[in-house]
Amino acid sequence: MEVLYETLLAITWPQVAMWAIGGLLIYLAIAKEMEPTLLLPMGFGAILVNLPLSGAASVIEHLFDIGIAGHELFPLILFIGIGAMIDFEPLLTNPKLMFFGAAAQFGIFFTLCAASFFGFELNDAASIAIIGAADGPTSIFVAQELNSNYLAPIMVAAYSYMALVPIVQPPIIKLCTTKAERKIRMVYKGKAVSKRTKILFPIIITAIVGLVAPDAVALIGFLMFGNLIRECGVLNSLSETAQKVLANLITIFLGITIASQMKADEFLKVDTFIILGLGLVAFVVDTFGGVMLAKIMNLFLKEKINPMIGAAGISAFPMSARVVHKLGLEEDNQNFLLMHSIGVNVSGQVASVIAGGLILAFFRGIGG
Amino acid sequence: MKMPITEALTIAVIGICVVMMILAIIAVLIILLSKVIRAIEKLIAKKTPAPAAPQPVPAAVVTDREVELIGTDEKTAAVIMAIVSKKSDIPLEKLSFKSIRLMDNDEKGGNK
Repeated sequence: MEVLYETLLAITWPQVAMWAIGGLLIYLAIAKEMEPTLLLPMGFGAILVNLPLSGAASVIEHLFDIGIAGHELFPLILFIGIGAMIDFEPLLTNPKLMFFGAAAQFGIFFTLCAASFFGFELNDAASIAIIGAADGPTSIFVAQELNSNYLAPIMVAAYSYMALVPIVQPPIIKLCTTKAERKIRMVYKGKAVSKRTKILFPIIITAIVGLVAPDAVALIGFLMFGNLIRECGVLNSLSETAQKVLANLITIFLGITIASQMKADEFLKVDTFIILGLGLVAFVVDTFGGVMLAKIMNLFLKEKINPMIGAAGISAFPMSARVVHKLGLEEDNQNFLLMHSIGVNVSGQVASVIAGGLILAFFRGIGG
Repeated sequence: MKMPITEALTIAVIGICVVMMILAIIAVLIILLSKVIRAIEKLIAKKTPAPAAPQPVPAAVVTDREVELIGTDEKTAAVIMAIVSKKSDIPLEKLSFKSIRLMDNDEKGGNK
């Protein structure tokens, strides 16, 4: 009875607020099915670490030390699974889609300026900016490498907004495009990509990125390693394991580990809300950048591009591609944009890793 | 250490340009890679006899003399031989082709 009394007395208002936040994340995961694989463990973890005198906090912190603080193992291993899931064929059949992946990284660089404007330290501003990569593992990797003081809000923002892509992107896309533009049909010229090309692609990309942005080579290397396992054709069982078992296992640990950074006293700060706001801005600018590039390209192209596919350049894979496809069908039920938007989406995946590597290279050199 | 907004802007512009440039390089490399691999595969296919390749061409060999191909390639000739064999119900081994010639436009207009 005395223990119960002592525990009840230890409850603070900020902890109660964190339970509410945890509850909200669980609600979004279950009721709205928003990125449930991550939001549910994060939500539950947020409640777990904010229980008064929580004995779980130290265990989760240990997981954090092993899986994230120590060489960012979890995000990197997760990248093997993601690489094994990605089919680069739509991109290989139309390499021009690469540019949309780049344009949809505008958010990163815009947010960098915005974070600097709000007075964040150099390493923190760069880490916050990378939320715009719309890529959880890259955000964790960069923020951790740059020793950011805001790892938790960055991770929460990155994953939450990825989950919120179906809510965040459509209004922005509609705002930037006309009905006629959204109705533009695109013919998919599905050319057969040889097995050799598919095998050489991950190796060559790793080599190029390794040469240009050595800081990103761990990220791109693990991503492409997963893809090589998928495409080589002789490791089907490993590919299956990477796509399902490995990715699921790491996701479980990653979600709950992120929660170790969601302790009320560290999380509930004004800066956290600014970071959440900046994260949203990053996603909005990413979407805007991708759509605008397509519109600019349309000024010069004979065969017009549906500008909505530019929005799929954020690397939230495959959600943003699906969002674009769905929006296309809303306007014209015979307009199938999925293959184009998936191509843009996977190029966004590569682009976000390169952008992450560049941010690391810039800020390690300048002041990190 | 805080960063002046002008420096942030400079880094932002340089950053997006570099990302664009790297992705442009990758796009060009993908196009080149696809072309090179396609060319290599064509070469390999030419060197190694395809198992499923149509056999009518050797059929001409059965006649003990070469078929003279005028203005047409071996592939087309093989197809023509196969069609003739099929339509005439004569096995290719028993057919003898002296030459296969591409007709010019005047000859084609013969039914005027």
